[in-house]
Amino acid sequence: MTDIHTAIVDIRSAPLDPAAALDFVSDPRFGGIATFIGRVREHNLGRVVTGVSYDLFEPLALRIFHEIGARAQSEIGGPVKLYIAHAKGDLRIGDLAVVIAAATPHRDEAFRACRLAIEAVKHEAPIWKQEHYTDGHSAWSEGCSLCEEHKEAELLAMKHSGDAHGHSH
Amino acid sequence: MKVRITLFGALRDADARGFVELDVPDHSTIATVREALQHHLREHAPTISVGLVQRSAFASDDEILHNHRVVPDNGELAVLPPVSGG
Repeated sequence: MTDIHTAIVDIRSAPLDPAAALDFVSDPRFGGIATFIGRVREHNLGRVVTGVSYDLFEPLALRIFHEIGARAQSEIGGPVKLYIAHAKGDLRIGDLAVVIAAATPHRDEAFRACRLAIEAVKHEAPIWKQEHYTDGHSAWSEGCSLCEEHKEAELLAMKHSGDAHGHSH
Repeated sequence: MKVRITLFGALRDADARGFVELDVPDHSTIATVREALQHHLREHAPTISVGLVQRSAFASDDEILHNHRVVPDNGELAVLPPVSGG
């Protein structure tokens, strides 16, 4: 699995590093690199956010990042290098929360692998975001259930609503 | 047997230690642990919504454990509320 790099980075020790992601996926075989960078934004659902805290179940999160990488490789069906890193701890506005990079021979597979990876990280990895607001309150974000029965219920709701994701994140 | 359930996300508010310990019959399934955790939280952390535990998954360090699975021999579990990474 040397073509997949996964990391959880404690923000107290270092920020996420998109340059390191590009370095990792760069390869003479590949002419296309797609990246996704998620940053902490200032507003959510009409409230002003001062920062967010990320909580992760690290051993399982890393294992799931690897599974996502393997799934991307299998979906693409050709050579691909993938970098998946997520931040942990207390982040300020503008800090990087997640960095994904995918490299493949051509652009189409790179975009597809990158999209698959970020969507899977958001919906499947054991990561929780707590937002902090200007009024001093904090709230854990609504999320996606990993529970079998509830996943099925969410899929059903998605079919009925015709929404590709069934929810807003 | 004693199970130690590590808390994450919104469920961390249920116990400042970051985990709860429950007694369940040997070879219990995850469904039994889920019920025991709901019962425990109703008594000890009434501000936590029972629906949140219903929508949460249980896991070992290695995998998600669905309702029919048996508690691992080491009694170590994590409870994972709906996720919101990225």
